[in-house]
Amino acid sequence: MSGKMRILTSVVVIAIVAAGLGVWIIRGPGPLDFAGGTKVALADYRAGKPTGVPAKLEKASLVDRGEYLAKAADCMVCHTKPGEKDYSGGLGFKLPFGTLYSTNITPDKDTGIGNYSDQDFLNAVQHGKRHDGARLYPAMPYTSYTYMTDEDVLAVKAYLFSLPAVRAKAPENTLSFPFNQRWAMMFWSAVFNPDTRFTPDTSKSPEWNRGAYLAEALAHCGECHTPRNLGFALDNRKKFGGAITAGWRAFNISSDKATGLGNWRDEDLISYLSLGHAPGHGSASGPMGEAVDRSFSQFAPEDIRAVVAYLRSVPPVASPDLPATTAPAAPASHKDGVTADARGKMVFASACASCHGWSGESPVSPMATLTGTWAVNDPAATNVAQIVLSGTRRHTPDGALSMPAFGNAYSDDEIAAVANYVTARFGTKGSKLTAKDVAELREQTAE
Amino acid sequence: MIMVARKFADQVAASDPASKGMHMATTLTINGETKSFDAPPEMPLLWVLRDILGMTGTKFGCGIAQCGACTVHVDGKAVRSCVLPVSAVANRAVTTIEHVGSTPAGAKVQKAWLDAEVIQCGYCQSGQIMAAAALLAATPHPDDSDIDAAMAGNICRCGTYVRIREAIKQAASGRQS
Repeated sequence: MSGKMRILTSVVVIAIVAAGLGVWIIRGPGPLDFAGGTKVALADYRAGKPTGVPAKLEKASLVDRGEYLAKAADCMVCHTKPGEKDYSGGLGFKLPFGTLYSTNITPDKDTGIGNYSDQDFLNAVQHGKRHDGARLYPAMPYTSYTYMTDEDVLAVKAYLFSLPAVRAKAPENTLSFPFNQRWAMMFWSAVFNPDTRFTPDTSKSPEWNRGAYLAEALAHCGECHTPRNLGFALDNRKKFGGAITAGWRAFNISSDKATGLGNWRDEDLISYLSLGHAPGHGSASGPMGEAVDRSFSQFAPEDIRAVVAYLRSVPPVASPDLPATTAPAAPASHKDGVTADARGKMVFASACASCHGWSGESPVSPMATLTGTWAVNDPAATNVAQIVLSGTRRHTPDGALSMPAFGNAYSDDEIAAVANYVTARFGTKGSKLTAKDVAELREQTAE
Repeated sequence: MIMVARKFADQVAASDPASKGMHMATTLTINGETKSFDAPPEMPLLWVLRDILGMTGTKFGCGIAQCGACTVHVDGKAVRSCVLPVSAVANRAVTTIEHVGSTPAGAKVQKAWLDAEVIQCGYCQSGQIMAAAALLAATPHPDDSDIDAAMAGNICRCGTYVRIREAIKQAASGRQS
C-alpha cells in the first residue's frame, strides 16, 4: 500500500469511527437499559405474563382485548380531532417547522386503514412504515410501540377494524424543507428506532416487568416526559426528567425525591393515574388530563400498580430549575403575602379567587387547590398559563369539575400578569412571563 | 348566556357517557334544612337550586364563574354555584339569598342595601349581597382593598359599584346614610 493510500484509508476509517461514535453518543441508552438485569426472550420468561391484557380479560374476544390495549396505548387522543368521529384523524401537531396531521385509522378503505394487511399494520406500528412504503414521522411513537408483541399489535388492529369506517381525509402536512422529505426518516429510523420487541428482565419482579411493558411499549410515557436529544429522539440519559411537549410542561416523573415522584406515596400515584388527581399534588390537565381520561382511567387496578412499581425504579434525575420543596399555603388574607403584580392581583380577584381562594386552598374542591402543585411552583409558569388559556376538566366517579377557558376573555398581557401573580403568591418563585410568551403558548396549542 | 348553559348540558351528555341519564339520590343541607332530590352528580348546584328545588333567588348570569350572579355560601364562604358540581357540596352547609337575612352579617347587609338604595335593575344583586355578607362575616371592618378583593368577581351591568361600596361600609359601621 502506498503512503497516499494508507493516509486515505486511515482518514476513511477515522471518519467512519467518528460517525459511529457520534451516532452512539447522540443515541444514548435505550429506554430500559437503566434496569441492567438479565434479559430473556419473552417465550422463555416463566415468572409472569408482562404482555397482553389483564387476567380478567384473558378469555375475552380478540376485539375486546384489542380495545383494552388500544386504550392502554392511548391511540385515540392523537388520532381524533375534537368534535370529529373517534379515530378518524386530522388532529394537527404544531411543530417549529410546520404542522403535522394525524391519520384516519378507522377501517375506511380510501381514507383510513381498511386496506392494511396484518403485516402492513405491524410495519406501521413497530417499524414506522406506511402501507405505500413511505416513512412515518416519529410524532407517531413507533419507537415505543416497537416493543409491543405482534399478538398485541394485531389485537389492536382487530379492534380498530371492528369500528365503523369513517370517510375522512386528513389535511396535507405543512412541513418546511428539509422536514418535508419523508424518505429522510429512513436514516432517522435506522438510528433511533430500536426495532426490537419487549424482553423481560429476570432480575426484576413480574409486576415490574408488566409495568415496564405498559409504560414503555403502550403508554409511551417517555414521549412527553423524557427530554429529546439533538436528533429529536428521546435522551434516556435523562429518562423521565421532564420536558416541554405541545406547549405544556410534562414534569419530572423519575424517582428524584425533590423534583420527581420519589416522595409521592403509592396511593397518591395510583390516585393521580386513575382519577387524574392526588391530594396535595393537584390535578392532571392538558395532555396528561387527556391521557388519564382516555387511557389510565381505563387501566385495570393491577396494571396501575404495575406502572407505579416500574416508575419507582427509574433512576433519579433532578430538575434544577424547580425548587427543592413546593411552597406552603399562602396567607388567608389578600393583604398578606406577595403582592408583586397589582394587575395580576386584580385579575385574580375577579376571575380566580372565588374558586381557588386567597390561600390557594380551594373552598370549592380539593381538586381546585393550587397549594403543592408543580404548576404553580414552576418559575416558568408554563402550565399555569396554559390552564388559564384553555381551561381544564376532571372526571371522577363523583362527577366532573371544570375550570372555564379564559383564553378569549383576557388579553395576553392580563394572562401573563395573573400567571406571574399566581406563581409568586402560591409557588416558591414568581414567573416573569410577558404578553409575547403567552402569545407563543397560544400558538403551540392552537388546533 | 343561554348558549353557555346549553353548551354545559351538551358537554355533560357528550363527554361522560357513563353519567348520561344517571341520577343519584342526593341530600344537601340548604339554609339549615335537609333537602333530598335526584340529580346527576355533575349537575351544578345552581341548577339544583333553581330547577329542582325552585329556589330562584340565586341567578344565572354567565355560567362560567365570571360574573358572580350565582354566588351562594358553602360553609360560610362565597362560591359560584354555576360551576360547582352538586357532588362537591354533599355534607356541607349551603346558604342562599333566601336565607342570608337570618345570619347577622346578611341582615346588616340587607338593611344597608335598602338604606343606600343600592339596587337598580337588581339582577346581580343576590350575588352582590351574598359576596358582601361573606366578606363582613370574615372581615367585620373591611377597608377599600378588602372590598376590592372580595367583590371584584361580582359584576354589575348597571354600575351600582359606588353604592355597593358605600352600603358595605354602612353595614360594617352600623351608621345610616
